[in-house]
Order: sequence, then structure tokens, then C-alpha cells
Amino acid sequence: MSTINFAAREINFKIVYYGPGMSGKTTNLRWVFQQVPQNRKGEMVSLATEDERTLFFDFLPVDLGEVKGFKTRFHLYTVPGQVFYNASRKLILRGVDGIVFVADSAPNRLRANAESMRNLRENLAEYGIKAEDIPIVLQANKRDTPDALPVEMIQAVIDPEMRLPIFEAVATTGVGVFETLKAVSRQVLSRVAAAS
Amino acid sequence: MVEPAIALFGGAYEKASHVLEELLRESGARYALLLDRKGFVLAHKEALWAPRPPALDSLATLIAGNAAATQALAKMLGEPRFNELLHQGATHGLYAEEVGELALLVVIFDNSAPVGRVKLFGKRAVQALEVITRDAVVQPGTLGIDHEYRDGASALLDELFGN
Repeated sequence: MSTINFAAREINFKIVYYGPGMSGKTTNLRWVFQQVPQNRKGEMVSLATEDERTLFFDFLPVDLGEVKGFKTRFHLYTVPGQVFYNASRKLILRGVDGIVFVADSAPNRLRANAESMRNLRENLAEYGIKAEDIPIVLQANKRDTPDALPVEMIQAVIDPEMRLPIFEAVATTGVGVFETLKAVSRQVLSRVAAAS
Repeated sequence: MVEPAIALFGGAYEKASHVLEELLRESGARYALLLDRKGFVLAHKEALWAPRPPALDSLATLIAGNAAATQALAKMLGEPRFNELLHQGATHGLYAEEVGELALLVVIFDNSAPVGRVKLFGKRAVQALEVITRDAVVQPGTLGIDHEYRDGASALLDELFGN
């Protein structure tokens, strides 16, 4: 859950970008990093392999500004999407406040999307969290793929009850990136406010 | 269950800061940080003579990730935990130790501070910090973030990311 530091007058939230390998999680973070003004962001840290695949996580702190005297900050993380890095994925979910699930729109990645969502549910369960109890926003990325699947089909596979909001995106050009981040951030804020 | 958080303020924060200051003075280290396990900085102190530290957010995140990976390794080997993390380079060293279930102490030192001294005073500081952080644990829902705060933050989201 969020961390409040009364001494430094800071409130921090942790948002994790989850999804199958190569779906565009790091690309989302890079876009945010490129677009947010210098004085509203920290360093972007990437623990990646030489071929730029995420090995442990990417991290980007974003300063929202001051609200009621408290500096509000979102810490954005990505997880490594590749199946065999599950131990790392699980560690990064610790203390998560909200999740962006980045799905790949390519037809041959439909199964990978479904498996990654199942894996997310399993890993959350290990922390005693039900997926229904935490803000999750879906992003159908790579909408510029020539044979991109209909969004409804992607959602039917990863969220059969059609419970979660879904945003279309082309993260390489920034389409849908901020919309997705704003949606999950709002849900996180609402959840924390409702709990108080 | 969502895990509890540590909210350090007032007297507890002052006490934790004092422990970190003492640790710096006695060990000769450059920086001392108290983090939660999620990688957020709860308190930090710098020695007066020390140069500006690297970005604390990044530092805290990497150390928390490193500590979490180390604990996962310990479990795989059948150990309940590995108590400390120590990294030493040619001129700089980093020492991290668990503070109870929810926090970590991190000490960054250079080669003017013997590692034995850093560990000795680090372990003493952990004992004091464990008591302070245990008393500062709050359950979810008691942080006092209200609807007014939510609405203010929501407006800032529009300002930063556009409507």
C-alpha cells in the first residue's frame, strides 16, 4: 500500500506495469520519462539485458506536485515479461497500489496475454491480494499492428467479465500512454480515499 | 491482506533521525537511510563532510529490490533469511540490514570507515530502529487520505498529463 512520510510530507504510490514479454511495458515508461518535465521526474533506472529486455525491473519516479501540503509521488515499475522471470515479477508486486496490464494486440500473442494475466492473479494471491481488490487498468498496446485483434477479443480473454477499463495504445508514439496512467492513478487515489 | 505501512512522524521520526546521526558519527560512514521494504525512504541522514548523495529514490528502489532478491535466495536454500547485505568496491561500500519485517537500514561508506565498525554500529542501530519502526506501523485505512486530497491529486494528474 501507499507510504506516507509525515516528516518529509510525502505520499508515495507504487504502480506496476505488468504483461507478457515485449508487450511494451518499458516503452510506456520511456514515453512518460521523455514527456514529463525535468523537475517532475527522477532518474529512470532500467535493469535490462544487453539486448534491452527487462531483467529485473524498470523504475521511474514521477512527482505529481503538492496536495494539501503533501508532496505526492508515483513510483512506476515494470516487471520482466518473459515467463522464466517469475521470481522477479513476484518480488516487484510487493506493496503495489495499482497495476497497468499491457496486452499485446498481435494475434499470435493472445495466449501470452491470457497466461500473463493468470500469472498476475497467482502472484497477487501469494501476497494475499485478490485481483478484484486492487486497481487494475488494461491497455491494448500496439494498435498500429496491421492485423491487430479487436479490443473486445483481447479483453474477452484477459478479463472475461469485462470488469476492467481498457485503453487502446501505441506506446511507441505515446498514444494512450498518459490516458492509461491517469486512469490507474485515479483509481489508486479513490481507493485510498475510500479506505480512510 | 494488504500489508501494513510504516508512518514515521513526530517523536518517532526524531528518534529514528537521531539513531541515524549517531550511526554516522560512530561509524564514520557517509550516508545512513531507513527504508521500507517497498523501496521508499522513511528517513535519511548525511555526514556533514560527505558530498551530495546519489538520487535517493533510485538508491532505495535498487536496495529494496536487491534485498528482496536476497531473501528469495535464502528461502530457496532453506534459510529463513540472510541477515545482511554487504557490497564493497575500491573506494565505496554499502551495508544493508533488515529492521524487523518491514524496513531496511542502509549505510554507505568509503574506505576511511572500516567495514567492521560500520557493521558493529549498524547492528546496534538496527536494534534501536526495530523498536521505533514497530511502534510506527499503521494499518491500511488509517493514513487519513481523504476525498479532498484525492480531488486535488486528480486535478494535478490533468495538469501533468493533459486532459
